[in-house]
Amino acid sequence: MKYIFIIIIGLFSGAFYAQDSAQDLLNKVVEKTSLVNDYSASVLIKPDVPMIKSLPVKAKIYFKKKDKFKVVSKSIAILPKQGFTDVNIFLSNPKNYMVVEAGTKMINNTNARLLTVIANESSSEIILAKLYVHPVHHVILESEITTRSSGTVKVNYQYSTQLSYGLPSQIKFTVDVKEFKMPKSFSTNPHKSSTSKKKQRKTGTIVLTITNYIVNKGVSDSIFQK
Amino acid sequence: MLLKNTYNELIKILAKPRSYIGFIALTVLIGVILLAMKADGESFISFVTASFEQTLSFNGLILNGNLIAFIILQMLIIHVPLLVALVTGDLVSGEAAMGTLRMMGTKPISRNSFLLSKFLAGAIYTFFLTVWLAFLSLIIGQYMFGTGDLIVLNSDGLVIIPENDIMWRYGLAFCLAYLSLLSIATMSICFSVFSDNSIGPIVSTMAVIILFTIIGSLDVSTFDYIQPFLITTHMASWRSLFEIPVPYDAITDSIIILLIHIIGFTLLALWRFNKKDINT
Repeated sequence: MKYIFIIIIGLFSGAFYAQDSAQDLLNKVVEKTSLVNDYSASVLIKPDVPMIKSLPVKAKIYFKKKDKFKVVSKSIAILPKQGFTDVNIFLSNPKNYMVVEAGTKMINNTNARLLTVIANESSSEIILAKLYVHPVHHVILESEITTRSSGTVKVNYQYSTQLSYGLPSQIKFTVDVKEFKMPKSFSTNPHKSSTSKKKQRKTGTIVLTITNYIVNKGVSDSIFQK
Repeated sequence: MLLKNTYNELIKILAKPRSYIGFIALTVLIGVILLAMKADGESFISFVTASFEQTLSFNGLILNGNLIAFIILQMLIIHVPLLVALVTGDLVSGEAAMGTLRMMGTKPISRNSFLLSKFLAGAIYTFFLTVWLAFLSLIIGQYMFGTGDLIVLNSDGLVIIPENDIMWRYGLAFCLAYLSLLSIATMSICFSVFSDNSIGPIVSTMAVIILFTIIGSLDVSTFDYIQPFLITTHMASWRSLFEIPVPYDAITDSIIILLIHIIGFTLLALWRFNKKDINT
């Protein structure tokens, strides 16, 4: 009986260790991002979305703790509906979610650990987040966020000069694209036939290349006012 | 003699109060649209981008003068030809109704020169109406709303044209718009030759525009064979200048068809006018 009891404890201790480790790893990711009080950066936005033709656009992004974020661009910039700060705000409060480690995946020669984050509140905008985390640098390499209003968005992150702050140098969003319906009155084109229906891609990508970070040097609140 | 008579025809056009209806109507219409956009343009933009806004967000100056000019052009494409026909439809039949056509027939000017001078005067009137339309929609629009990228909705989706790539497109678009209006002007002058009263040609031109527009907008495969030859189909060809890439072949086809209409109506009118027995 004593040996059975020891065996049972040995089997479950692995699970307890993994759950603590998953929360610890996520806490380290959150701690890293919380080092950033504010930043500004230049961004080049390259959209490749079905039914949208747009050239790359240069913009400026501003962030201030805890949830102020602004994209400033004279040109029209297309970004995912899900904002840059939504995930970080969600993860900053551990009471919002529970996290479970669910395996590993090779990403850019790194054996990233998969953390599955499930929202506790049924009314939460983020329902589920799958985060592939670098085990050493404690940054998110890839994520798959399922939200109530925007569906599922896959995001790939690359880091360079601002790795210490967990600020990426490149972000690639892959969004699910439903068939966009055009209002007929705006879409008549004399040079298109009425029966042309092409097969449409189901996903689109938006790549953001971020440079010239200025971190923790102060960002005025007036920038975030409309 | 042709140019001198064209000058006389222009004076006749300027002397008629109805010639100013087009300019006044354009000013009022575009003024109303500009004020409406200033008051509530953002909700109009939401209507255009609504389909995309479930997954995407648009940042930057969307509501700008370039977009306003595009919206105005699009809205008025059916109405401006009617304003043109109001004047050009009256050029020959109006004189017949007033009884001055017979007197003009006694002058030492050939019937061809006489009619061609009316065509030229109609073309010049149409040109100034187009210039006024361009000024109000683009120049005033940019003054009120600023400039920026142009977001265009077409059957393939959204096209976002950079600010520095827009003005040449508008230049060509207004040239195409002028060609479209000129084809309507020649059609109404042609109808005017067949009539002895003013109302008939004007209403006939309006009826043709409305009928062809309805046929053109019906998304029925039966009409696919007819639509490429309708004058109203090619009146909207200016929209193709705001595609990426610009379909120059298709636009050239539209220009050719409009020119064929212009030449065809002119020749028909000349033939009829030469044969016509002027009794009034």
